[in-house]
Amino acid sequence: MSVKVEVIEGGVPHNKILIAGVISTLVCIYLTYLNVLTGTEMFSFFGGIAVVAALIWGSHTIKVLCSYGIGTGVPSAGMIAFGSGVIAMMLATKFGILAPIVALVLAAIIGFILGYVSNNILNMKIPAMVQALTEMAVVGALSLMGFAALITGGFTFAGLTTGSISVMGMTLLTHQNSFLGGCLIAVAFLLGAIAIQHPFNATLGPGWKQDRMLMLTAECGFLSMIVAAIMSFALISAGSAIISLIVAIIGWAYTYQQYMVLSKRDAAAWLDSKPIPDVEGH
Amino acid sequence: MSAVAAKPQAGGAMNPTAMGVGVVMLLILLGICWYISPVAGLSVLIGVIIGGVLIGFGTHFVPVGGAPAAMGQAPGIATGVAMLAAGAGLAGLFGGAWAAEQGVVVAVITGGVGGGLMMAITCMMVNFVYVFGMGIPSASGKVAKDPITGDTQAEYKSQGTEGHGLPFVSFVGGVIGGILGGAGGTLIYVELLGLYEQALPGVMNVTAAQVMPIAVSAAGMFAVGLFLVNAVLTAYNITGTIEGPHDPKFKRWPRSIVASAVASALCGLVAVLLVVPLPI
Repeated sequence: MSVKVEVIEGGVPHNKILIAGVISTLVCIYLTYLNVLTGTEMFSFFGGIAVVAALIWGSHTIKVLCSYGIGTGVPSAGMIAFGSGVIAMMLATKFGILAPIVALVLAAIIGFILGYVSNNILNMKIPAMVQALTEMAVVGALSLMGFAALITGGFTFAGLTTGSISVMGMTLLTHQNSFLGGCLIAVAFLLGAIAIQHPFNATLGPGWKQDRMLMLTAECGFLSMIVAAIMSFALISAGSAIISLIVAIIGWAYTYQQYMVLSKRDAAAWLDSKPIPDVEGH
Repeated sequence: MSAVAAKPQAGGAMNPTAMGVGVVMLLILLGICWYISPVAGLSVLIGVIIGGVLIGFGTHFVPVGGAPAAMGQAPGIATGVAMLAAGAGLAGLFGGAWAAEQGVVVAVITGGVGGGLMMAITCMMVNFVYVFGMGIPSASGKVAKDPITGDTQAEYKSQGTEGHGLPFVSFVGGVIGGILGGAGGTLIYVELLGLYEQALPGVMNVTAAQVMPIAVSAAGMFAVGLFLVNAVLTAYNITGTIEGPHDPKFKRWPRSIVASAVASALCGLVAVLLVVPLPI
């Protein structure tokens, strides 16, 4: 029954973003496995890149879904993405090296059933609903796994619950000082959930442009990565955390600057004003 | 229909076939759980499903106004269904979590009180802002008389609006919704916490004291995830705004019960699987 309010005009088709998102996210998460192969932690920053890639894909999925008036606000889409994603991700970490693949499959199953439930039982009747909820559950699960890899240097259940695996002989004593035991996952959850729902919420409307929204997503993703990189100082070596932080800051500065350029391109006019004007005679 | 006039029209109609499929899915998920973990897992899963259904049902009571309410053109609290449900449920969850060691009954009641209190405070402050800040009286647009106090509404309703402010029945509905949501969220948390405290030490080969942070964190995150899934599904059921238990949209609750039960069974099954030894 719902009528599609906006149409995607031009830009990259959604399926291309989907495929690129899945592949680049999985590849980047697996690149953090170089940590195990080389015995260091300095490849953790690939987890943050995976988060950014997944978020870019996810925010475009939200655009596809929320172009139909679902009547619940854009943020609810980000919430269900990470709500279903965290459930899939936590079970998937038990599968060791296969964890990212299992997270993808499991999240897709959960998202598909949730999509069926909302489209048929709740009678939403939105054509893109099932596919969008499937994709968003996958995005949520893979983003959280990326955050986990960024903060702890690994994505296995043992790595997430014992934390400082690099400290020899201390593994049994550090359950509290870990990604799961210290509940850093809750921070990662909201960092991702806000970053995924904000871009479309901020750029929707008649002047919506695909490249501007995706650039804003990348900016939000790198902003979240900065916070996550600071949190990673607690769990991985300082040198590796600094690498992640530098990558995040460079990425954020570049995408922010690009986003400002795109915003000025799409604006009718703009005025560079000072934040606080100097008032004479006071 | 023009694109501007397009409104979400999920409609109040039930879809019997899909409801039947939902019930069958629920039974299949329960069967899988019974197969992998007959005693401990199944009782936890049933608790999780009851909690999820309480959240889904309770959310229908909450007066949700959305953007129109912020402009004083519709009754209710001026935000979305998912945000209000998450707010009430998480407040209840945090309230009930500290009582988790005192047994299921105390914890669930504490959670319900926490959620209800949060909604009562929210509804009262919202009405303060409406009445003293925006200068509008409380009036419902959906009913002629308040079902509880019997006050007539039409005299106070402005032209061109659907009502405004929080009538008494909406306030009561909000508190009931908060109680049900908080109790449901806490029930999910307590059930999962009990399972993890009992089973995680064996899975991870550590002592019960060492596993506490993991058990609390994992149960909490699963509870939050389940809560958000149920809240958003209920938001999809309501589509937009609802005034409270007297709103015609309230009659859609059977759909939401089935949907929440299926979603909670699915996510709860995954949560139970966390402590089941895997073949690899």
